[in-house]
Amino acid sequence: MKRFASMLLVTTIPFFAMIALFLLVPLLSMIEGSFQAEGGGGFTISHYQEIFSNPYYLQAFENSVLISFLSSLIGIIAAVFAAYAITRFPQSLQQRVLVITNLTSNFAGIPLAFAFIVLLGNSGLFVLLAKQLGIDFGQSFTLYSWSGLTLVYVYFQLPLAVMLLYPLYHVIQKQWMEAAELLGASPWHFWLRIGFPVLFPGIVGTFSILFANAMGAYASAYALTGSNYNLVPIRIGALVSGDIFARPELGSALAVLLGLTLAAALVVNEWLTRKIRRDLS
Amino acid sequence: MKRIGLPSLSFALVMLYLFLPVAATVLYSLATEWNSTVLPEGLTLKWFAELYGDPRFLQAFGRSFVLSFLTTVVAVVIIVPAVFSIVVYAPRMEKLVQLFVMLTYAVPGVIMAVGLIRTYSGNGIPMIVITAGAYLVGLLPYLYQGTRNSLLALHARSLMEAAELLGASRWQAFVRIIVPNIMSGIFVSALLSFSILFGEFVLINILVGGRYETLQLYLYNKLSASGHVASAITVTYFVLMAIITSLIVRFTRRSFARKEVS
Amino acid sequence: MSYVQIEHMSKTFHGQHVLKQLDLAIEKGELVTLLGPSGCGKSTLLRILSGLTAPDTGKIYIDGKDVTDVSPKNREIGMVFQSYALFPNLTVSQNIAFGLEMNKVPKADIRLRVQEMIELVGLAGKEQNYPRELSGGQQQRVALARSLVTRPKVLLLDEPLSALDAQIRKNLQKQLRTIQRELNMTTVLVTHDQEEAMAVSDRIYIMNGGRIVQHGSPHEIYTQPHSEFVARFIGNYNVLSAEQLNQIAPDLSIREVAERFAIRPETFREQPVTAEDIRLTGKIAHVSMLGNVTRYELNIGDVSVLVDTLHMSFESEQTGTTKTLYLCPKDVIPLYDTIA
Repeated sequence: MKRFASMLLVTTIPFFAMIALFLLVPLLSMIEGSFQAEGGGGFTISHYQEIFSNPYYLQAFENSVLISFLSSLIGIIAAVFAAYAITRFPQSLQQRVLVITNLTSNFAGIPLAFAFIVLLGNSGLFVLLAKQLGIDFGQSFTLYSWSGLTLVYVYFQLPLAVMLLYPLYHVIQKQWMEAAELLGASPWHFWLRIGFPVLFPGIVGTFSILFANAMGAYASAYALTGSNYNLVPIRIGALVSGDIFARPELGSALAVLLGLTLAAALVVNEWLTRKIRRDLS
Repeated sequence: MKRIGLPSLSFALVMLYLFLPVAATVLYSLATEWNSTVLPEGLTLKWFAELYGDPRFLQAFGRSFVLSFLTTVVAVVIIVPAVFSIVVYAPRMEKLVQLFVMLTYAVPGVIMAVGLIRTYSGNGIPMIVITAGAYLVGLLPYLYQGTRNSLLALHARSLMEAAELLGASRWQAFVRIIVPNIMSGIFVSALLSFSILFGEFVLINILVGGRYETLQLYLYNKLSASGHVASAITVTYFVLMAIITSLIVRFTRRSFARKEVS
Repeated sequence: MSYVQIEHMSKTFHGQHVLKQLDLAIEKGELVTLLGPSGCGKSTLLRILSGLTAPDTGKIYIDGKDVTDVSPKNREIGMVFQSYALFPNLTVSQNIAFGLEMNKVPKADIRLRVQEMIELVGLAGKEQNYPRELSGGQQQRVALARSLVTRPKVLLLDEPLSALDAQIRKNLQKQLRTIQRELNMTTVLVTHDQEEAMAVSDRIYIMNGGRIVQHGSPHEIYTQPHSEFVARFIGNYNVLSAEQLNQIAPDLSIREVAERFAIRPETFREQPVTAEDIRLTGKIAHVSMLGNVTRYELNIGDVSVLVDTLHMSFESEQTGTTKTLYLCPKDVIPLYDTIA
């Protein structure tokens, strides 16, 4: 009994110490900080009041939610079909395609932003091509606009979406399709009535992971224009690391609200899943 | 009968979309001049030569390597034995660990950075140490999952019981029986961990900034300087990731093959 | 022409001949079983009948029409899969109604027919349940109801009971047979379980290596196996060479000339019944209790035979004792080929 206790203790004490020091304490300290007046003047909710009354920060939330929602939506729609296409390849090819897809997921953050500069930057490949063809995007599209940033976000959502959706298709048994066919259903009817509803919880779950992933994304936007995009992570980064304008307490409050947004997305996900798939509840 | 359906079309478009930026970057890193024409005017290796001759690049690469490698080693040493004793001897604690795993996975780096700055900045501990600590926690989801899968596939609980009935102490049994058997699984998780840390930018940029220039920070600083050199950095980084991925695939296959034989 | 007729059916998978020039005929209202070991081609034959797999050569006729090139959904065939293949996101009544909805049956009719089916298979009260809330036996009955409700011309059952416990299986066999008779439904059952085949079939086709090796009523198959394969597959037949038979029963006069003979273990009797019965004496090498039957392994000279007797005495005989038995010459069945 004693040896048992000692091994468990020796191995788990550093483990839980690590979690406490680098996960729990910082998170709690951040929440506590968000209610502290600047410079340590006691409890206050003024940071939250400031965020909710300042259009600049509200705008940041709106921008973040919009770009995250849009990029997740585009990513998931493309991936639902692409992942299905992969399941129809021969087995060995499937594995290879997945490995390659996964490899491109390393293309995120700074390298990704840079690759898009090469393609769509001010003297990017496609911009030059367009110029030669006599098309002028002018002000309607540049990489540094919102539509440009959305393209970058879609890029890093795609591999993640494909990797998460691919295993879902294994839930769909081939015999369901055969049974449906014998009962007179067309493939379209099968997917509408059986396939898609069965996949739905997984698709919604994947969507919320993508959404959270985009909401927290910092590097790509930062690399493209520094602090110019008005996105929540960029604002937080600027508030806590800026040397002159550092306002860590306000940054903490923004971070808490960002965390709450992610939690809310999870709740909506649960609710939606239950509504569509009543057999799971 | 066979027609190009929506799935195939969409697959082709996704692949094209994923590969275009990679291809363009590779081409750009090899191009002599590429300012006004659609295709590069000539091919050259001079950007790579310039890059590899830059001591600042080598230092940044070295820093990234050391930071990712050491942190991965420490994370393996802390997390693997803990997950082992929890899975085998205290399965009730798994729920708690899973909660932490979820939390680590769900909380974005930016939020972590805020908490870490508030907790640790200005009290004498170098921020690079704090960053490494945050990395340890960041690796938890990957190492937890990898270790747990290996242990379950091995039936670690019965193996430990068998070893103990034969007179081995728990530590002996762990070191002599469990560790060698889960080694390849852990190695795969460690490689994955290493590649994740190698590409990390948020924490290092917010917590440390220019004081410890990693490859990602070096690339960021080079973006405005030279496009060609920046492509060469990106390509180098991508090749390294490709090597690590192929190692992961190879070792995953090997540990699978062994399981099928037994 | 029979109601269902298959002619010269062949199928090759990856260079392997799964079905070899196979012919088969089923009459209207019959329950026919395809029985054979795994890999004999019986499931492939069923899938070809359903249209889910296309044959290489051969023709299929249902109700006088050539349906070889008709798509599965236009063949008017119902099928119950081994895994049931119930749609997990639909309730019991939605599952059963699915085929009717696909065929654009009016809503009121659907409700009526679904309710009728639910009562027929005994699932009243479970209409709103989802498949995962049902037991295996209940799921099986939903699958049956779903394939019957569209009133198919032929019902195909692919090992429908193999995933169930012995007790439930027995009950469902009986229920299946009752429903099939009530609806006069032409049915093809695939199974590897000879007891099941015996219990429910009008006729049995025994398959091996992509061919039909024997067919007939359960009684014919059981009492008159034509080959060693059938004799061994259908029961625990003793298969003896002519030489071995001569050794254990030298007095036996055999009319037919054959290399091998089959004797069912339960045909040995402790008392003679007819004047022709011959007497055998052997030593008990092994005794095992199979519930109501006691099985002896009896050594007669150096030939070993299995003997089943009803377990009636309070004490069974011990290993090593000598036992005398009687055998009727009619129960010695000549086998005409020796398929390994």
